[in-house]
This record gives sequence, C-alpha cells and structure tokens, in this order.
Amino acid sequence: MSYGLIVGEVRRGQFEERNLDSIGLCNLLGQESVLLVPQGDYAIKENCTDAIVKVAVDESIFLNPLDMVNILSRVFDARGKAGAVIFTSSSSGGELAAYAAGHFDMPLITDVSGFEKGQNIFYKSYFSDKIFGEFKPAGGEPPVLTVRSGSFKDAAGEKASPAVVEAMDGVPAGGARSFVEYVEEEKGEVDITKADFLLSVGRGIGNKDEISDYEELADLLKAVLSGSRPVIDKQWLPKPRQVGTSGKTVKPKVYLAMAISGAFQHIAGMKDSDCIIAVNKNAEAPIFQHAHYGVIGDANKLRDKLKDMLKG
Amino acid sequence: MNLLVFTKRVPATQEEEVRIVDDGKRVDLSKVPFKLNDWDNYAVEEAVRIVEKSGGSVTAISIGDAESDEVLRRAIAMGAQDGFLIEVVQEQQDPNARATLAHNFVRKEVLPFDAIFTGVQSEDDQFASVGGILAAKLGLPFVSMVIGIDAFEAGHATVRRELEGGLQERVKVNLPAVFAIQSGINEPRYVSIMGIRKASKVERKVFKAGDYQDGVANKIDVEKWIYPPSKGGATMLTGDADSICKELLGILKEKGVYQ
Repeated sequence: MSYGLIVGEVRRGQFEERNLDSIGLCNLLGQESVLLVPQGDYAIKENCTDAIVKVAVDESIFLNPLDMVNILSRVFDARGKAGAVIFTSSSSGGELAAYAAGHFDMPLITDVSGFEKGQNIFYKSYFSDKIFGEFKPAGGEPPVLTVRSGSFKDAAGEKASPAVVEAMDGVPAGGARSFVEYVEEEKGEVDITKADFLLSVGRGIGNKDEISDYEELADLLKAVLSGSRPVIDKQWLPKPRQVGTSGKTVKPKVYLAMAISGAFQHIAGMKDSDCIIAVNKNAEAPIFQHAHYGVIGDANKLRDKLKDMLKG
Repeated sequence: MNLLVFTKRVPATQEEEVRIVDDGKRVDLSKVPFKLNDWDNYAVEEAVRIVEKSGGSVTAISIGDAESDEVLRRAIAMGAQDGFLIEVVQEQQDPNARATLAHNFVRKEVLPFDAIFTGVQSEDDQFASVGGILAAKLGLPFVSMVIGIDAFEAGHATVRRELEGGLQERVKVNLPAVFAIQSGINEPRYVSIMGIRKASKVERKVFKAGDYQDGVANKIDVEKWIYPPSKGGATMLTGDADSICKELLGILKEKGVYQ
C-alpha cells in the first residue's frame, strides 16, 4: 500500500487545527497516513495517523519552501515516493505545495474541498465558488494537494494504535531565503471581534465615496462597520476592520453583509455568526448559501431606504 | 533592476453568471467581459515602483490568446517598458503546464532578470501556483503572499508575507527570486484611456507558444464542471423596498441588536 504524506503546519508553536482536514483527506484516500512535522513542544494526538516523522528543525525552516523540498526528498528516499503529498490551504501551505509540485514535477490540485473515492476525483473551486471542477491527476500520477479547511476534518478520526514515531535530523538548511521575524498588525480604533452587530460591506458598493453613507447607517443602527478583503485592499476601510481568513474571524449576533459576494476566505471568517443577513444584487452570489436571510437587490439603494426610514 | 512580471487576462465573473454547458464539459464565458487579473495589477504596480526608484526596466509577459495584448498595453501604460505575448492556440488551464511554458520561455530567450513577479493567484482558476512551480523549475528562491517590500537591492530583498489573522512574517531572500504579490500591497495607479492609447504605440513582441513546448503537458484533467450543491440557503425577503426594510428591521429587533 502506498502512503499519503501529510505536511503538518505548525505556526508559532501551535499545531494548526486545519491539519485535521489534511489528515481527513488522507484517510479518505485509503492510504497509510504519515504525518510530517517539525520538532516542538506542541500537543498532537498520538493516534492521529499511522506514522509521525518529526524533523529536527525549527518551524521557520520547516515552513520555508526551499528547505521543505530537501525534507521531502529525505522522506521519499526512505519510503519511496508518496501516493499523495497533502498540505493545508493556507498562506504557507499553498506556498510550500506549489514549490514542491514544481520541484518534484508532480500534478497539483489546490484548495481541494471534496473527494469522490470510487473515481479518484478531487473537487476544486473556480471563480470564487461559483462553479467547481472535478479533477483527476493525469495518468493516475501521485498528486500534491492543498486542502480547504473545514472540508475533511470529520474524517480525521483516530487510529486503533498510536503512531509509529520516527525522527529525522541532519537536514541541511539553505540560506537563499531566511525567516527574520513576525510582524503584528497595528491595532484598530475598534475591535470588530467584540461587536454584537456588524454591518459589513463588499466591493459591490462601487467606490470609496459610498463608505460615508454606510458609516451613517451603521451609526443609526448602532452597528460596527467592517468589510471584505477587496474593500480593505482598495483602502476604503482600514485593515483592522477586515473580516476573513487574512483579517478577523467574527461571531456577532447579527452579521449584515451588504454587496459581499462571499468568497470562501470571507465566509470562513463569519460563518459562525448567530444570524447572517445578505444583500446582493446577484441571486447566484455564494453568500446566500450561508445566510439565514437574503435580499436580492442593490445594496446602496436598500441602504438609502433604511437610512430614510430610521431618520423617520 | 530588471523585473519580469507575468500578467493574465481573465474573465471578470464577479458580477456575472457563469454558465456550465455541454453536459458539464464546458464553461461558457462568451458573454463575460475580460480584464487584467486583479492580483497582476498589484504586481505590475509594485514592479514599476521599484524601477522608478532604483532604475532598470519592467517587462510584462502574458500567456494567452491574441486578445491578451490588452493586458500588456495596460502594463505599459502603468510604466512597464516592454510587453511580451506568448501566444497560445489553446488556453492552458493546468498551472503546471503554464509554469513549464513560462520556464521554457525565460530560459530559451535568455531574459536577464533580477526578479520575476506574478500575482498570488488569478481570479478565474485560483490555483495560486504558477509562481511557485516556475521558481522551483528555475531553481530560484520563492516567496508568496508578498504584502510589503521593505528593501529591494542588488542581490537581496527583504519582504513581508501575509499569513492568517492579520499576522505577517518578514523574510530575507537572495536575488534573483520569484515573488507572488498579494492584493492590497499598494494602490495601483489609475490608467486612463489616453494612457492606454499612447501605450499601444509601444511595440509589443509576439512569441508563439509552440516554440517552447518541451515538457509542457497537462498533469491534471478536468472531468466535469458542476454548480456548488445548494444548502437550502437563505429565507428571502421579498416585496417592495418599504416592506423589505421593515422586515429587516424586525429581524434586527428580534435578534436584540436594534431597539
């Protein structure tokens, strides 16, 4: 039986929860599961996989694509080429996976969110979840995969016996790229994670001039204003107000999303809100799949109507 | 500094319906307008800023059909000196095939460069992989999710990568290297129609993808396209604007966030 190699993401001493999705997919592939991690003092279930390989390097080396390919080479030398190499779908997971696929000349499917076992089909989002493609590695070649977080953690399970633990040392660390330091985001004037009621705006509002009217509506509703990634990228709102994986994860009582189409990275940051209300002019917008209430229509017009009504 | 920037012309599906046709075999984009990939816009801007500060040149390169000349004109209008089109007969979807084609082109044309920029991902397929595969094939260092460039000097650069939850990491990297640029790194300059008209007087070179095919093959096949499964979704508020607003305020009151 071939083995699936799970490259565990350890960041600032934490074994990231999204690794469970990688383990889950590996179990669905029906292959022996081998978890590759850097050495460290973090909690990890001893029976999460069949084997664990602990590499005697700092996490910053482990997360460096130039060093990771050397580590993978060592694993392949010892065990043969893996039947699949599985990374998280994160900033570093995506970076490592692409570099590894290029280095080892392997097929690559990123952001895998579903798997059809009988047919060896991997589901991958296109156009921000508007459609999905059913992908197969050509010629049945072993693929490199990145796994969308939340997709397979239910299949992570536990093995009957503890994993066989191996150590790997003597990995040469390159010098062409090196970690310097972590940089924290500047603190905002408000903490959107503390708000009960978030009024969140997306690119569909059109331009920066619309923001002041949304600020006014937020004031009238006693809501806190936040935004999706494009709004922050365009500097319509400051970074500390960003909802999504690269911004803040929020869980307000009400999340009112206006003109946000609902890219996965945004949904991941707000899906656990008690009540989600979405306003979007496109009836096909993915956000309606996650909302409790929806309005199909122009967000700016609805904003103006609400303002008029509240001002009475 | 000589910088190569890979740019892609993509369908602007943000506000458009994407239609699956031919029993799932094909996606119909014939009614969708096309534009420069958003991430590449940031990459071109960042490259132009570096060259404006420290001299050198920016070459925009696009893999695509003849229409992709449009994104090269735009890059030149933003400040790139050259535009190269690698003209393909058939769109190459697989990031491996695209990266291999890019690799063959850079090597065969012996393009001198200090760095290659790409966008982190393209808006259509969102593989976020071409830069990384290309870097590995060239045997160069790779940094993705670049959200800030602190120093860019002969032989090395110091950049910040975007991680999750607002965290960044600063890394130092030797040049030449490949950088995948994240959206939001800068505020791309406005490009006027006049600017693009002027840019179209600068000659763009056209290369045939057929001349760079060594090892270019799809490593993955798409069997079928499907719409996402419907989860039942939201309760829709309907009626005239007045009644929708009243109902909306009613929900806010019921949830206790508005009195």
